[in-house]
Amino acid sequence: MTSKITGFIVAFALLAASWHAHAVPAFNRQTGQNCVACHAGGQYPDLTPYGRLFKLTGYTIGERALPLAAMAVVSANKTRSTTSPDPNFDAAANFPKDGNLIFQTASVFLAGKVASNVGLFAQFTYNNYDAQNGTDSAWMGHGVSDNFDLRYADRFISPERDLIIGATMNNNPGVQDPWNSIPAWGYNTVPGSTGPAATPIIAGGLAQNVAGLGGYLFWNRTVYAELTGYRTANGFWSFLSQGFTTTRGDMQKVKGANPYWRFALTHDWGAHSAMVGTYGMNVNVYPDPTNESGPTSRYRDAAIDAQYQYILDPHSLTVTATYAREKVDYADSLAGQPHPLDPDGTLGLPLTNSSDSLRMFRAKATYAYHARYGGSLSYVDVSGSTNAALQTSAYDPTNPGVLLDGSQGVLGSLAGNPGTRAWTGEIFWTPVQNIRTGLQYTAFSKFNGGSSNYDGFGRNAKDNDTVFFYVWLAY
Amino acid sequence: MSKPRVLAIAIAIAALCAACASPERSRSLNDPSIPATATAQQVCSICHGIDGNAVSPNFPRIAGQPEPYLVSQLKAFRGHNRSDPQGFEYMWGLSRSFTDAQIEQLAAYFAAQKPLANPAHSDPALAARGQALFENGKTDKNLPPCKACHGDHAQGNQGFPRLAGQHADYIVKQLDVFQRTDERPEGAVMKTIAHLLDRDDIEAVAAYVQSVN
Repeated sequence: MTSKITGFIVAFALLAASWHAHAVPAFNRQTGQNCVACHAGGQYPDLTPYGRLFKLTGYTIGERALPLAAMAVVSANKTRSTTSPDPNFDAAANFPKDGNLIFQTASVFLAGKVASNVGLFAQFTYNNYDAQNGTDSAWMGHGVSDNFDLRYADRFISPERDLIIGATMNNNPGVQDPWNSIPAWGYNTVPGSTGPAATPIIAGGLAQNVAGLGGYLFWNRTVYAELTGYRTANGFWSFLSQGFTTTRGDMQKVKGANPYWRFALTHDWGAHSAMVGTYGMNVNVYPDPTNESGPTSRYRDAAIDAQYQYILDPHSLTVTATYAREKVDYADSLAGQPHPLDPDGTLGLPLTNSSDSLRMFRAKATYAYHARYGGSLSYVDVSGSTNAALQTSAYDPTNPGVLLDGSQGVLGSLAGNPGTRAWTGEIFWTPVQNIRTGLQYTAFSKFNGGSSNYDGFGRNAKDNDTVFFYVWLAY
Repeated sequence: MSKPRVLAIAIAIAALCAACASPERSRSLNDPSIPATATAQQVCSICHGIDGNAVSPNFPRIAGQPEPYLVSQLKAFRGHNRSDPQGFEYMWGLSRSFTDAQIEQLAAYFAAQKPLANPAHSDPALAARGQALFENGKTDKNLPPCKACHGDHAQGNQGFPRLAGQHADYIVKQLDVFQRTDERPEGAVMKTIAHLLDRDDIEAVAAYVQSVN
């Protein structure tokens, strides 16, 4: 391990020394500009006011150039405790990569101006440590469609008015948004970083499973409004969900077209920029993705968000916050079902809910100095209704003191509640604009409904505290 | 939806996109046929404002700048002769394919814009000190008054930029560039002058010119 790290540091130093500011990804080749033009403090993915306009005008500023870019992430996770008093707890299965420096993911981007008013941002990602095979636990890699956003935009600007109208075709609700308070771009953006187990469906729950077509307008750089409809990304649209399948269990199917909406007010003054907004989605999801018929579960998500930015060289500060509420009405096949640990109903454990609610608050502040050094602090608080369906362990009412074990390991929940609270602090360094390295610490004060003994077997929320080291390369 | 139908719709949309593409609203930067007004309004305006009165102090206010000054700066960016960070981070790429004619037309567009008063606050005491420097220089140090080149009202003159209403932060940073680097060789005359200014002088003169309408 030590020699691996030493070797890596040497390679990294060589790389840092040989790359310089002209070696930049696709959009930079198109505009000829430095990362800091579009990314606040040069820290992707946070956008500057200029970066937002670049996106809203359809990635079309500049001249057509080689539309290819690549990104890779090397990272290591170390969890505070990888053991559990649970006799069925399998440490190797729960923390298979713990403490190892791994080549986590690599992406290629097809990104750039396609025509005068049309531009594309398309990412294809290879997850090097996707899953372990059943025989010898060797890791298997897997390539998938990642974020995709094809845009058309026209801008009608004169001294009297400024109106951008555009259309987007994308595969992740919110990925088309130019602000970083939206879950798609705001939080846990470094691949491999840690977060809560349960979040509303709008926070990435349908990413790369759906195909969306929508329209937006941005008026006088003040009012933004958007409406997009999402359907399952299958058939003709399956290029947006490559690598996601029902057999793998990572492909969901939605019924018909499902609306996503977004409204925001924004204002720039001096070196400041602020936005307040709202977004949401109503979506009907088939409980069994292999059977696209019958009743669906209905998710209604509504959220508010805000962003404040101060950018004046050498300082860059971005503060984002969002609060989302979700109501789920389950399809009959999921509602009022026997408890997962009491399939026959003989123990008298409660039936599963017919509906649930979930709330998520996230906030993050990122500061960068000279687009080189910086840090961020973020907070997440997920709360929601308790549902027997989420219980992975429960006390047997017929046999006092006996704990029934659903063996979900680190993701277990005795309470059957999604409640999770965590702080993440990060420091980062960007020696050249193509390389960012950082160290994160995530501290959980609550996990899956409990602070202590959340799994029923003595595991505490803080046992999930994680140190995360990463090197993020983009070319 | 059947594949042929989707394909037909895609082709129709593509045709529509092509039809909508108008040179008057183009954001292309390597096509000399795009009118300079389109480039100024579609691209330059994002940072400098459609009327050249940039809101953010990261970007200089270029409304009413003397045309020769704007031409010389755009050519300096294009030829990589101006390499201060704000210059190369933003302007090298944007200007790399401009023709001389485009540069002249862009300069004419912004030179013709009306400079507005800068809404940023300047400390009155600091600005008063800056005004004294601007108008009188420092005789004991052989520092000429700024107005000798930049005009009585800081309105600029030919190759000397307008300073009136300019963001104080931008003035401070550029004086630092002149004083400490050779990143703006076209402004070599300012190197000597900037060396005669200390930190307090720089902040005072920046506060003053920002407040001049």
